[in-house]
Amino acid sequence: MELTAILFYLFSILTVGAAAVMVFSRNIVHSAFALMFALVGVASLYVLLYADFLAATQLLVYVGGILILILFGVMLTTQGHNLNFKSVSVNLIPASILSVTAAGLLIFAFTTTAWAFIEPVERSETVYELGMLLMGDYILPFIIVGVLLLIAIIGAILMSTRLATTSDTTSSDLTE
Amino acid sequence: MVEHTLHSISLFYPEIIIVVTLCVIIIADLVVKKKNHTAGWILMGGFGLAGITVLLQAGRNESVFYDMVAVDPFALFFKVLLLLSGIFIVFFSVNSDELKAYKSRIGEYYMLLAGMMLGMLLMVGSTNLLLMYLAFEVTSISSYVLVGFIKKSLRSSESSMKYIIYGAVSSGVMLYGISLLIGITGATDIYGINAALLAGVDQPLILNISILMIIVGLGFKITVVPFHFWAPDVYEGAPMTIAAILAVASKIAAFGMLIRFFSVSFINAEGISAAGVWQIFDALHWDLLLGAMAAMAMIVGNLTALMQDNIKRMLAYSSIAHAGYLLMGVVILTEQGISSILIYLFIYLFMNLGAFYVAMLFSNKVNTESIEAYKGLGHRAPLEGVAMTIFLVSLTGLPPTGGFIAKLYIFGAAISAGWIWLVAIAGITTVISLFYYIRVVRNMYFFEPETGAKRLHFTFGSKIILLLMLIPTLLLGVYFTPLLEFAQSSIKILGLN
Repeated sequence: MELTAILFYLFSILTVGAAAVMVFSRNIVHSAFALMFALVGVASLYVLLYADFLAATQLLVYVGGILILILFGVMLTTQGHNLNFKSVSVNLIPASILSVTAAGLLIFAFTTTAWAFIEPVERSETVYELGMLLMGDYILPFIIVGVLLLIAIIGAILMSTRLATTSDTTSSDLTE
Repeated sequence: MVEHTLHSISLFYPEIIIVVTLCVIIIADLVVKKKNHTAGWILMGGFGLAGITVLLQAGRNESVFYDMVAVDPFALFFKVLLLLSGIFIVFFSVNSDELKAYKSRIGEYYMLLAGMMLGMLLMVGSTNLLLMYLAFEVTSISSYVLVGFIKKSLRSSESSMKYIIYGAVSSGVMLYGISLLIGITGATDIYGINAALLAGVDQPLILNISILMIIVGLGFKITVVPFHFWAPDVYEGAPMTIAAILAVASKIAAFGMLIRFFSVSFINAEGISAAGVWQIFDALHWDLLLGAMAAMAMIVGNLTALMQDNIKRMLAYSSIAHAGYLLMGVVILTEQGISSILIYLFIYLFMNLGAFYVAMLFSNKVNTESIEAYKGLGHRAPLEGVAMTIFLVSLTGLPPTGGFIAKLYIFGAAISAGWIWLVAIAGITTVISLFYYIRVVRNMYFFEPETGAKRLHFTFGSKIILLLMLIPTLLLGVYFTPLLEFAQSSIKILGLN
């Protein structure tokens, strides 16, 4: 086997395994660390596809930013950092049947399909081409993503702030 | 490249106006200290202006932003519908008592409404799977928050939570399906997908799986069985205005996207016939599957609505049933079928918004959403009672209201395409629906109001808004030729027959 193929499988197993640990672990700190490995695994897959800019962004934004925020959030909340949360499982049998069927079907379909392969071109840098695409062919999605983030921020603020106790006060409820 | 972008911008004014309105509301929220519905009036102006620019695009048929968005008569029809419902929703919101307790944050409410409208306008116009998904998410994310807007009500937060979980799962499945479809065809725009499929992609299994996954996401938005479970709970918990926009506008947008996606991606170049569209798939009878979904939606929606006492839950189940009737047109996928969907959506807009509006007025005054508590309301509020009766009769589909015309065309299209069993189910369930719609009317009129109950007084403005929905509902029942022509000319570009 080629080195690239070995690396691909290695990082894929890392990603999937870490994701499984993240979902099934009952300790929130363990979950957060497992998430970090999953995200690093995805970043490595990007590198294997010569998408260096994407890999760097993945590391900076997800591993460096969001994950640290999650860990800080866990540490700063008063419940204590190793809170075991109660997870209730309902409809275990129908859900298992459904997911096993779906998995079986997908694996069968994936292995029997001839995909439209594109051989990844070896590139020295991708940032320039990416920038041209974002300002050319993909300018509209690029801008719409910006609006989506604006809406998401407004929504997050709206959901996380508490209401002022007297509803008719003119003061902003952000101050509470 | 620059010329193309600049040219695209000149055909993109409606969406740009919505985004600018969103920004103006943010600034106005900072500047205007008095907390009232200023943002609402700004948004209404934005919607109106966007509507005018949409109308100015009449007759254009172009693809802008590097084949991302189509500016064509089909998109125009849906954009007119969406902006019209948006304007009505802003009117509702200004009149809503439910939202009065949240004056300090009403600005954010209108910002999210603007965001939702942007998403929906893009949904009906986009011709690229990437943008389709983005537009879908813009719509969803704004509506998740809007559903939970009444934070003091536990039901509202609960329904928002349910909506997020259900919506995230179904849009995740849809994204997976989209990625599979791109994997087989190697194209993201739907014309490219069509070309790749016509060139012969010999992968029936994975193709069918990917379409099935995409239908999960779209089925969630149009609330068709078996993806309907969220609707009653979400409608019940959401503010009345948001329940109305979810039942009308977001369904219209999803149908626009669904029709464009199906008819463009899977149309067969030579056999542009009724069966031709579906012939591109072998192995799975897609028309039969969608037909079964439509039938299930009609049966489940109408039968469950019989047992509801909450008016919002009843309207939720009724909207599931109407999604079933509408889906019949997609099953046929002929010119006649699609144009009758367009007619149906246009009439559905007025009658369903009207029913939600009267329910909101009653809930403002008598503070109830229970149909049992509607007893005698017809005597206490004559105009509103009569209006509610007409809206419900129209939703049933009886003449001389618009609902009759809507059902007539869609049933007729299904019969001429040979879907007799589907029409039979639709007919029987329509009769069943009469029972629960008329129950509301019976409660309003056949019971005397309690002794000492006063007449309800509504503002002059609220009556005008009511008439704006009532008159089209009645008028479209007798004079519908312009609507027919408008719908038929809107779908010419899809190339069906």
